[in-house]
Amino acid sequence: MTPLVRTQTITKTYSLGKTEVPALRGISLDIEQGEFTSISGPSGSGKTTLLNLLGLIDSPSSGTVILEGSQVKYNGLTKLHSIRLEKLGFIFQTFNLIPVLTAYENVEYPLLLAKKSSSERKTMVENVLREVKLWEFRKHKPNELSGGQRQRVAIARALVNRPRLILADEPTANIDSATALEILDLMHTLNEEERVTFLFSTHDPLVMQHARRVVKLHDGVIINGRQN
Amino acid sequence: MSNFMKLAFKNVFRNRRRTAITGLVLVFGAAALILAGGFIAFTFRGLSESTIHGQLGHIQLFNREFLQRQEDRPLELGIDSVDAMKRKIITMNHVRFSMARVEFMGLISNGDKSEAFLGRGVEPDKELKLADFALDVDTGKFLGENPDNAKENEVILASGLAKTMKAKLGDYLTLMTTTSKGALNAMDVKVVGVYSTGIPEYDERALMVDIHTAQQILNTKKVTKLVIVLDQTDQTERVAASLEAMFPNIKAKRWFDLATFYNAVVRLYNAIFGFLGVIIFVIVVLSSSNTMMMSIFERTKEIGTQLAVGTSRTRLLLNFLYEGLIIGVLGALLGLLIAYGLALVINKVRIMMPAPPGRTSGYPLLVDTVPVIFAGVFFLMSMTTVVSTLIPAFKASRLKIVDALGHI
Repeated sequence: MTPLVRTQTITKTYSLGKTEVPALRGISLDIEQGEFTSISGPSGSGKTTLLNLLGLIDSPSSGTVILEGSQVKYNGLTKLHSIRLEKLGFIFQTFNLIPVLTAYENVEYPLLLAKKSSSERKTMVENVLREVKLWEFRKHKPNELSGGQRQRVAIARALVNRPRLILADEPTANIDSATALEILDLMHTLNEEERVTFLFSTHDPLVMQHARRVVKLHDGVIINGRQN
Repeated sequence: MSNFMKLAFKNVFRNRRRTAITGLVLVFGAAALILAGGFIAFTFRGLSESTIHGQLGHIQLFNREFLQRQEDRPLELGIDSVDAMKRKIITMNHVRFSMARVEFMGLISNGDKSEAFLGRGVEPDKELKLADFALDVDTGKFLGENPDNAKENEVILASGLAKTMKAKLGDYLTLMTTTSKGALNAMDVKVVGVYSTGIPEYDERALMVDIHTAQQILNTKKVTKLVIVLDQTDQTERVAASLEAMFPNIKAKRWFDLATFYNAVVRLYNAIFGFLGVIIFVIVVLSSSNTMMMSIFERTKEIGTQLAVGTSRTRLLLNFLYEGLIIGVLGALLGLLIAYGLALVINKVRIMMPAPPGRTSGYPLLVDTVPVIFAGVFFLMSMTTVVSTLIPAFKASRLKIVDALGHI
């Protein structure tokens, strides 16, 4: 069966002045549909870089990324926005909501980009906000919500287009452990009930415990993979 | 309103103080341009009317040949059969009246000394109708105002010439000139008035006599030109074209073709207004560009997020341009309102302006509220912020997503 996403010996090297800093050194990884996988490792191990490459918001220095059987072409990153819009969802450590928009409008934003009709948008936003239990807070702006609520809005925004893969970069890093547990439970439920594929970077042991698969990175290489 | 326009609105009012500062620059820019444009429009209007009613009339008819070659003798190429022409012309739409003029030159003498003069033979009653506000008789009276003395040949002298000739009201002077047949002729004329044209150089040489007096001394029935006065200045072109069609041997000169001073002022003011417009445009562009740059820089991480969740770079560019357009439209609208209010106040106060170069009297500072200027300034100011948003917005739309997301 074709994996949802496959990387083939991808590398990423950053230039810092005249110094070349390798962030990833030949990563080959398959993510199957429906996985709930954590990428863990210490700071600087390349977790975020790998997530960025899988999320098509950065291009590898070498190697290939294959999404649903098609090799990703990096033509100046110009054509990738529609793939990100239709197939991928992002959850950020600092929530990254648009501050001038309400919870409802933040969740609606990807649907506007996807040119969904007004009635479609209404139904989809309501469904997803109810799923994350924030329908009552739909008119609140991000600064009127708690950290956990903001992250749930971010999850709803990532989920609303029903993407194949949701990438979450340290999703629990900025919230307390009780809220983190709530968020993880929510992601778990979505994964189990709706077969949404989650891939998140973390060095939080709580998150790693919840992951069914943990991919451990160190200095830009996978040092082991484990099934929970 | 589109949802992206709504988002732009929200972003515009996210930092109200900064938006207000940019808006104020636009408001002042728009108001300054409208007031300057309105003042210039008033000046053009006032100057065109004073030019027309001062001496030119709306249209002047000449023998076509007169404009093509020099005359060997006075009125050799004048217009014949003036009365028949006038009878046809008065029936035309928008024509108030027509009047003949004879232009001639010669020497004027008081017995002790002689000076060159530029004479004009006129139909006094019609000249008064034309120059209802422009003809300024300093002392005495205008020609033909006293029918009892109509048999005497009267002259009115421009102030500079009267001074040179040491002429007083009631004095007799002698005009000498060449007749249309080439002979020398002279005639005694009585000084009945002194007038000012407003142009000092012309005041040194000018005089006016009744048209019959001029024709008598020139020994002809011809006239130099026929002046047509209309009821509406904007009908000039249409009537002139009709006149040329009606009289094939006649050339109709429009007032704006003859008004050298008016045209020079128009060119000068247009250059000043254009320069002012460019300066204001640059100030507004630099100011709002700086504001937009700051606004975009502050939102770098948000831009990264928007790109990450699937916003196309074109969509992002458009969103920022919407913001520029909103600030531009709101600022320009407020500027228009303020300019309109200020124009009403200025027109009520009636501040006097100093005399322009070559003129002897000042004029009131008035501002016309011209819809075309309002529309033009509105468009210019609205577009100014769009233009000033282009570069920062383009840069924002080209940001690398990972760099933008990592921005603190």
